[in-house]
Amino acid sequence: MLFEKIEPLLLNVQKPARYIGGEAGSVMKDKKDVKCRFAFVFPDRYDVGMSNLGMKILYTCINNRPEYWCERVFAPDSDFEQAMRENDVPLYALESLEPVRDFDFIGFTIGYELCYTNILNLLDLAGVPLLQKDRGETLAPIVCAGGSCCCNAEPLADFFDLFFIGEGEELDLEVMDLYTKMKEQGATRSEFLRAAAQIEGVYVPSLYDVTYNEDGTVSAITPKDGAPAKVRKRIISDFNNVTVPEEFVVPFAEIVHDRAVTEVLRGCIRGCRFCQAGFLYRPFREKSPEVICEQSRKLIANTGYEELSLCSLSTSDHSQIEEMMDGLLTFTEDAHINLSLPSLRVDNFSTALMNRIRRVRSSGLTFAPEAGTQRLRDVINKNVTEEELLRTCKIAFQGGQAAVKLYFMMGLPTETDDDIRGIVELAQRVVDSFFEMDERPKGKSVQITCSVATFVPKPFTPFEFHPQDTREMIEHKQKVLEEAVSGHKRIRANWHSPDTSILEAVLARGDRRLGKVILEAWKRGCIFDAWSEHFRFDLWEEAFAACGLDMAFYASRPRSYEEIFPWDHMDFYVDKEFLIRENEKAKQAGCTPHCRMQCANCGVTKVTKKPCFDYKKEAEA
Amino acid sequence: MIPVRATFEKRRRAKYISHLDLMRCMQRAFRRADVPIWFTEGFNPHAYLMFPLALSLGYESGCECMDFRIDGEMSMQTAMQRLNAVLPEDLQLVKVAPPVRKHTDIAFADYRVCLDVSEGTAEELRAAWDAFIAQPEILVEKKTKRGTAMVDLKANAQILMVQTLQDGLWLKLRMPAGTSVNVNPSLLMDAFTASLPEGLRTGMLRAERLAILCADGTDFV
Repeated sequence: MLFEKIEPLLLNVQKPARYIGGEAGSVMKDKKDVKCRFAFVFPDRYDVGMSNLGMKILYTCINNRPEYWCERVFAPDSDFEQAMRENDVPLYALESLEPVRDFDFIGFTIGYELCYTNILNLLDLAGVPLLQKDRGETLAPIVCAGGSCCCNAEPLADFFDLFFIGEGEELDLEVMDLYTKMKEQGATRSEFLRAAAQIEGVYVPSLYDVTYNEDGTVSAITPKDGAPAKVRKRIISDFNNVTVPEEFVVPFAEIVHDRAVTEVLRGCIRGCRFCQAGFLYRPFREKSPEVICEQSRKLIANTGYEELSLCSLSTSDHSQIEEMMDGLLTFTEDAHINLSLPSLRVDNFSTALMNRIRRVRSSGLTFAPEAGTQRLRDVINKNVTEEELLRTCKIAFQGGQAAVKLYFMMGLPTETDDDIRGIVELAQRVVDSFFEMDERPKGKSVQITCSVATFVPKPFTPFEFHPQDTREMIEHKQKVLEEAVSGHKRIRANWHSPDTSILEAVLARGDRRLGKVILEAWKRGCIFDAWSEHFRFDLWEEAFAACGLDMAFYASRPRSYEEIFPWDHMDFYVDKEFLIRENEKAKQAGCTPHCRMQCANCGVTKVTKKPCFDYKKEAEA
Repeated sequence: MIPVRATFEKRRRAKYISHLDLMRCMQRAFRRADVPIWFTEGFNPHAYLMFPLALSLGYESGCECMDFRIDGEMSMQTAMQRLNAVLPEDLQLVKVAPPVRKHTDIAFADYRVCLDVSEGTAEELRAAWDAFIAQPEILVEKKTKRGTAMVDLKANAQILMVQTLQDGLWLKLRMPAGTSVNVNPSLLMDAFTASLPEGLRTGMLRAERLAILCADGTDFV
């Protein structure tokens, strides 16, 4: 235990409560009773990582098994990292305060491309060889990862023993079961990895050879040692009965999302063409209102949280949202619990729902039309009309709101300067709709904030073929936006430098050769790339140059339908043919109805062998 | 309605919880324990919890104090048992009783501080301490809500005991505490550390609050 060694360092760093564990709800076990230890690493700071629901779910799944112990690990801030390095304190887990290099698994959750250098830094702090090939034949520690970025894990292939593809609630335990069995038999690392590759949802990158064409594109991905040609993601089929955390580790220090969270549905029916999550997490599955209320009630009772939030890609797409809200409001109001509802869609935001939400303390409204003109919204299949947005804003204004935040993207396929100016025109019509109302909120003036992000094409979306706009194109469009918004005193627009989005695009659709670039960037000092105060694009450029690779090849090159993509050996249920059809439709600004209205034949039912919805019942509803 | 004054300890891992975080932690503990705590009435009702004297980050204590009211049918003892069942093991209630003294009665607090020697010897450190504390006044700047003020630590600190150990010093101090004047022993330790000559270095290894006292020297709780 490192307690004695850590303690003297803590009083000289910011927010030491992040580094010492001991929170209510943290799971303590006696390591003598434990057969397999899993260090669950979130490659960002405690206050970000502790907000992550995926981590809480898997922490519960693993710790529910008496013979396994899952502990938490986060990235230390610079001040504590320096103290750790100066005093030879290796990366440790918060429950036992023991070094993670002694664990059986070091498992990262990877939800964002800009945390890749943090992964290397954490492995280095742990004292574990960064490259998989340098870890030798001793079985432990197995360095693994899961999370949405693993749909294209290729840029990280050099560093990991295995990846969990898809949902981890059952998969992680199956891999731990196999490991525990083989550990008792004295297996080597490569023996274990070969056996693990046979589990559906496990991807062992070292069991695949990747070759390249002269133009730099992939020529072949060849499995070896019996590894499957396609790694199919895992899903939970019985979503009502999946393991959920009945308690959380309740932190002492304040974190980003410091509240109880209940997941109400997984997947999304909408099929917005830019949205990776909308395709990765198919099929759509929802929990019944009874299950949602029961899980929420237990969670509030066990955590003591004063706020409950619902988690999903689109909460208002729950088929029984009114029943769900009634049930939740009944118990939250009695118990002085605030209920917050992120992820509401504009089009089905009814007056009835709004009235229910008004019974809850509200804190500003945000909507995401994503594009400024109807044409471009059709291109991205964001099936929201201007009328719907204006109607919803009006309801919100009548409810006493006067500040609305609108989210947009720039750099979308087929986008023109008119589409950019359309952002401000749309915002102006929201302003107009405020003044057209007879009963305006008294003493308040309307304020519209437009947040405009740079679009990043992602794998497993219909836009995976598209070049990202170059820096010059984005900077031009930002200028167009700036000119359009000047003189509108009730509209504010904000945007950022495209650098982070460019790097995100490179890493999202990158291949294995990027491994050496990431390593080089980290060696040159890149860390916490998602944090603007740490982000050093110049160092990334140097790293690319040193490795003889070009960012533009990955970010802003059009990709043909015939090209073999670095992630083509991953099977996320969604067919490439479907993505091509959707991309073609996008070019014609054609819409695809949402899944509940009509099945788009995305490929999911070929695997699940059943329709996602009871269309007869849907038609009646 | 039963008014309760609870004494709790804050040790090991729990000593890094800041005062603000501690209040939030306790509020959540009441909800987890299902103890019917009294809520303030008003536009924004919240659980009524009162901490008469904050403890600095990093200090351990066996005598921290918290007031609340039970609004329902539950004994103080049951409330304490239920809270302890849901609180971290390093943060536990040790006593519940009806409040007797007023918060404004708090006048002093006793502390035990351990200094370790990282350069030099314990004997040298002891000699330096004796010289340091023999000064007629020890003036330091203290940050307050209204800016900075000069404080004479010599006039404020009562040294109850000094003990030389193999690798450092143990000190027992009585410092002014309460709602109007509050002097943190760390101020004295910082001033001492800063006064040390080259070749002699120390740091505060451990600090603990031993008692919260009223002006007449009796225990607050």
